[in-house]
Amino acid sequence: MQLKQLIRVATKSLAVNRSRSFLTALGVIIGVASVILLVSVGSGLKDFITGQMQDMGSNLIMIVPGDIDIEGAGAGGEAASGAFSSITASKLKLSDAVEIERSLPQIKDTAAMVMAPGLASYKSETFTGQVIGTTQNYINIRSSEFESGSFFTESEVNSGRKVAVLGYTIAEELFGKQNPIGEKIKVGDYRYLVMGVMKEQGGQGSLTSDDKIFVPITTAQRQFGMDNVSLIFTEVSSSDEVASTIPLLEEVMLRRHEEEDFTVIDQKEILSTVSSILDTLTIALGGIAAISLLVGGIGIMNIMLVSVTERTREIGLRKALGATPEVILTQFLIEAVFLSVGGGIIGILLGSGGALLLNNFIPMTVTAWSIILAFAVSAGVGIIFGIAPARRASLLSPIEALRYE
Amino acid sequence: MTETKNILKLESVSKIYQMDGVSVKALDNVTLAIMRGEFVSIIGPSGSGKSTLMHIVGCLDTPTSGKVLLDGQEVSQMTERQLAQVRNKKIGFVFQQFNLLPRTSALENVSLPLLYNGTPSSEIPKKAAEVLGKVGLGDRLDHHPNQLSGGQQQRVAIARALITDPSIILADEPTGNLDSKSGVEVMEIFKKLHEQGRTIILVTHDDDIANQAQRTIRLKDGKVIN
Repeated sequence: MQLKQLIRVATKSLAVNRSRSFLTALGVIIGVASVILLVSVGSGLKDFITGQMQDMGSNLIMIVPGDIDIEGAGAGGEAASGAFSSITASKLKLSDAVEIERSLPQIKDTAAMVMAPGLASYKSETFTGQVIGTTQNYINIRSSEFESGSFFTESEVNSGRKVAVLGYTIAEELFGKQNPIGEKIKVGDYRYLVMGVMKEQGGQGSLTSDDKIFVPITTAQRQFGMDNVSLIFTEVSSSDEVASTIPLLEEVMLRRHEEEDFTVIDQKEILSTVSSILDTLTIALGGIAAISLLVGGIGIMNIMLVSVTERTREIGLRKALGATPEVILTQFLIEAVFLSVGGGIIGILLGSGGALLLNNFIPMTVTAWSIILAFAVSAGVGIIFGIAPARRASLLSPIEALRYE
Repeated sequence: MTETKNILKLESVSKIYQMDGVSVKALDNVTLAIMRGEFVSIIGPSGSGKSTLMHIVGCLDTPTSGKVLLDGQEVSQMTERQLAQVRNKKIGFVFQQFNLLPRTSALENVSLPLLYNGTPSSEIPKKAAEVLGKVGLGDRLDHHPNQLSGGQQQRVAIARALITDPSIILADEPTGNLDSKSGVEVMEIFKKLHEQGRTIILVTHDDDIANQAQRTIRLKDGKVIN
């Protein structure tokens, strides 16, 4: 019997039980769609975050508090969470930044940062944003464009003046159409003179300036009662100099600190750490979804076993009319594979369609490998879970099968 | 009488079943011959071994001992795969229960044996329509079994048996599930097929049916008694 005819027989018997075939395939449809959706969420997140980080520039070196094993962070979450908790116990000083800039001429710019959440208000309007206390060079490193006004200068940092530069969203929320320059906003107990508004950047979290209030670091330290800084940024003139500058930075820092209570990392390292964490996340999400694909496969086996029992007479008849055991085996295997592959294709369409649709709200990236993998796994599921029922069908004795009521 | 005249020949065929450790002799040293073009009925009460005989003649089962020659071919030692091919080519089955595939048209039901012998798929519908026409169902090609009467369903089954142009038509109680009028119609078809030169073996427990054949073979306790 030709394969073409076998395929026709198999599709015919699936079509005869249309609703049952669909419900059986539904398990695989949901499994494949959720694998693709969840993997898209994971890789979308990764693309988004790494994309934003790359925008920061590749000639950036950061000094963060605490002795972090950055290489190990990808493998487990422990080192990464250590990085977050150590920010509160930072031993970095503003003077470290000054010293770095003074002793390492190859460093183009250095900026120190402190951060605190703050409720900003202007007249009756309020907005909760992030207060970033930093130095004048911050704007050179994170080159941002201005909607109006300008960033504060060295003299304003040195004298600890109460001036602020607003992110785009904050300015819009507090002032609407009104020009904020020269107005005073209130953050906590302090009143800040607005001297600049940044252009809209888009995005979320620590990587956008939209919801930030930039103030001189000295003012912020005074207001929030801090004597340390959370982060020091430095920028070298080209990315080739990054590798050679890191040990020099470590040397300067070690000279000033008795122990290694800081970590010097470059953007490439952060990027690879972040992407390895997000890869792990993607695999975990995909793995969870894969369980539902497995359940879908078991559903196929279950229905195929029921189907073999229910169609015992049919199998007996086909054998009496000349179907060999191999032909029966192939027919039932094709039915199982069609259910799973058909379900897989529908699942791929639903999953990628859904991902493209959701991409309007959250970053999603449909990856080719997740589609290929989902398709291959669903076909494999059909073969693996189809074999047992198909074998059972092929081994039925035609006499017993014809007698079966 | 030469060998070639015999379409079927059984030589000392025995079939022994093992049931719960007890040997049951379903067929006991059966020897018989059926000639090409003959219309033979096999009759016997239940437990006489006629089902077993039918299974062996229909190549659905192999004997414990003895030889079965079907159209000159020794089939008693064949593998399941070979038997399937012999059934497809040489035997046309007609069952008491009709055994049509539900939710499948008469045309497709009749086509079924051709799916298993490599007939090009383009020729199948034409052939199936042709044999359905021969059993008087040329206007019922697309009807499903549940849209057909019992007699019509059995005629579809006969068409299915005829489509491979088999050496033997093997009918197992073909009128057992039919009212008497349809039963008569079906028997008329068998007689007509016999007149056209077909070999027909009809298994029954009903004397009236059996007597309509040319010759009757009586079975009792696994032995031929006439």
